[in-house]
Amino acid sequence: MSKLHVERIGGLAAFGTAHSRVRSHGEIEIAALSPTDQQAVEGLFQSQSKGKEKSSQARDAFRYRITRKTPQGVETIEAPEEAVPEALSQCVKDELV
Amino acid sequence: MNNRFPMLSGGAPACACQCFIIPTKVLKRFSRDKKLSAKVRKAFALAARFEEHWRKVRAIKAKLAMTAQAMLPSALAAAPPGPPAVPVFDCRNGTALPGASVPKPGSSSDATAKRAFVETTDVAEFYKKLFGRNSIDNAGMAMISSIHYSVKYNNAFWNGTQMTYGDGDGNIFVDFTKGNDVIGHELTHGVTQHSLALSYENEAGGLNESISDVFGSMFRQWQANEDVDKADWLIGKEIMGKGAIARGYTCLRDMSNPAAKHCLAPQPTKFSQYKDGMDPHESSGIPNLAFYKAATAIGGKSWEKAGKIWYQALTGFGPSPNMKMRAFADRTRSLAGSLFPSQPAVKTAVDDAWTAVGL
Repeated sequence: MSKLHVERIGGLAAFGTAHSRVRSHGEIEIAALSPTDQQAVEGLFQSQSKGKEKSSQARDAFRYRITRKTPQGVETIEAPEEAVPEALSQCVKDELV
Repeated sequence: MNNRFPMLSGGAPACACQCFIIPTKVLKRFSRDKKLSAKVRKAFALAARFEEHWRKVRAIKAKLAMTAQAMLPSALAAAPPGPPAVPVFDCRNGTALPGASVPKPGSSSDATAKRAFVETTDVAEFYKKLFGRNSIDNAGMAMISSIHYSVKYNNAFWNGTQMTYGDGDGNIFVDFTKGNDVIGHELTHGVTQHSLALSYENEAGGLNESISDVFGSMFRQWQANEDVDKADWLIGKEIMGKGAIARGYTCLRDMSNPAAKHCLAPQPTKFSQYKDGMDPHESSGIPNLAFYKAATAIGGKSWEKAGKIWYQALTGFGPSPNMKMRAFADRTRSLAGSLFPSQPAVKTAVDDAWTAVGL
C-alpha cells in the first residue's frame, strides 16, 4: 500500500471509542511525505514492534492509529500525537457520526 | 514537523530557551535530523540533555517541598504561601509549546488569554480554599496554560507539565477555554499526577479520568454556588459547537446519566460493563455515576462532604498507580465514616452509590 491510513483517537472527547459520536480519519500517500517524515513513520512502526514506547504523563492527548500494507501483511500501530509528524496529524478530518 | 520548533532570528531553535516543555524524545529526534544545520542539531542535542537534568531537578524540588512540609514546625508549615504563578502562553496556531508569553493575561484584549488566566487562578483558589492545597503539586507549582494551540484544534490536554487548549473547529467544538469544567478537569490531571499518580489504562485510567470530571464539575458548581440538585452534572456543555448542538449533543459526558444519548461520548454505567483496554474516557462513567449518586444522596453542596471524601481518597495515601476501582470505592467508604463520624447517613450514601454501580 502506498498510502497510510490515519485515525485520530482519544482526547478529551474520546474520539473513535466504541460509542463516541466523533470520528477522525484520513489518508496520505507515503510518497507525499518528506524523507524526514517517512523516516519518522518507519521509526514509529519499528519502535512499536520492539515495544519501545514509554509511558507518558500526558492526559487527554490524542493518539493516532496508523495502518500500512506491506508484503508481510497489514500493520497497524498506535502512537502519541507528540511523536507523529504533522503531515499525518493534519491529514485527518474530524466529523460527527 | 519543523514548524513545531520555530527558529529564532539567530538560527537557533526557539526551544533552546524553552526546552522544559518539549518531550526529550522529540528534541533527540531533531538533534539527528539531517535536514537541519549542524548548529541547530547541536542546539537540539544540548536542549535534550538540559531537559533530562531539568526533569531530575524538578522531581527533587517537589520531593524536598513535601519533606519540608512534613518536617517544618507547625507554625512555619502553616504560614500562608502566596498564590501560584499563572502564566499564559499563546501558540498563535502553531504547535510549539509553550508558545509566546502573554504579558498581563488578566487584562489581555484576547478573551481566550484572559479566560485561561482568570479560570486557572480560580481553580487555584478552589483547591486552596476548599481543600488547603497549594497549587497542582501542593508546593506552589506554576500553573501554565498555552492557548490557540494548532489550527481549529478540537482538544485540550495536560502534558505532564502544563495545560494546552485548542480553539475548536467552530462546528463540533468551540474554544476549549470556554468550559470552566474543562479547565478544572485538565488541572486536576496535574493534581492526580502529584498525589495518587494513577496510570492511564484499565481501571486506574478510568479512575484518573473520573477524578478530573468530578473535580471539574465540582469547580463549575462551586463557581456558580450551586447545590447538588441545581447542578446539571454535564461535562463540556460550554464547549459544544453549533453542529454538535444541532444534532442534539449537549455535552461530552453526563455524570448523572453517563449512557445518555445527548452525550457526545456515552459511557457504561455498571462495573459489569467494564473491560480492560477501554479508553479511560469510557470507563470513567462508572465512578462518575457513583460520585453523582453519593453527592445527591448526601445533599447540599458537592464540595462540602462528598468532595472532601474524594479529595482525601485522592491525596491522603500516597501514590497508587494501578489502583482498582473497588479499592478506591472502599477507601471512600472508609473515609466517609472517619471524616463524618457523627453523620452515618454520609457513609450510607457513599456505600449505596458504589453498590448501585456494581462496586
